[in-house]
Amino acid sequence: MDNAAKIFPASLDSLEPIRDYVSKRCEVLGFNKKKTYGLCLAIDEIATNIINYGYPKAGIGLGIIEVHMADDARQLTVTLIDTAVAFDPLAHLVPNQDDMNKPLEDRPIGGLGILLARQNVDEFRYERRGDQNCNVFVVNVSS
Amino acid sequence: MKVTVKQVDTNIIAAVEGSIDSKTAPDLQQSILPVISNTHKVILDLTEVTFVSSAGLRVLLMVYRQLKARDGKVVLVGVSEEIRDVMFMTGFIAFFDICPSVEEALSSK
Repeated sequence: MDNAAKIFPASLDSLEPIRDYVSKRCEVLGFNKKKTYGLCLAIDEIATNIINYGYPKAGIGLGIIEVHMADDARQLTVTLIDTAVAFDPLAHLVPNQDDMNKPLEDRPIGGLGILLARQNVDEFRYERRGDQNCNVFVVNVSS
Repeated sequence: MKVTVKQVDTNIIAAVEGSIDSKTAPDLQQSILPVISNTHKVILDLTEVTFVSSAGLRVLLMVYRQLKARDGKVVLVGVSEEIRDVMFMTGFIAFFDICPSVEEALSSK
């Protein structure tokens, strides 16, 4: 079991550093490119929501995002913790198959990020703990 | 992220480098949308693009909509397997022509 955590300012400038922080761990764990990319994409999408909507809606000028990582022989778990307004991505409507089959010119564009977040990891969970949003991303080591 | 735009005949070629996320997507949009108002083919060279999030897909959608409105098309070049997967998952893949090289993209009908 190995644990690590880092705090980032909740600003769009932090997106790339957050992805780099996570992908370095993926590299150490020997994840392939596809798995690393999927996890970074999922985290990027949720972090973007926190930065663009969560903190502004809470009226907080510059919040923080804590990135926690824990891994064991079976899986890597990354948790994003913020104190923005409560937002459960799993309760949010995402485009359905009908929407996906629509021509691009008629396509609703909202919810795409959340869909990508859910689809690109083995498990995605959300918990509200006190005033914190905890978005949990789990990737299996061997899959 | 860096964008280099050039015109070849009536085509616009935009070569993008780096990550297209929520931070950089607005810059990409501003580099491309103003220069494609009269063109019928836009070639986006993504060979040096390492990451595309939904913010990047949104820019692709805007370019597509502009071109589609006048029967033009958007050709993507150098799309990595990971980016292709994201486009497949979201159903975007079907709306873009994908070519292995800029030369082929230029000569494609």
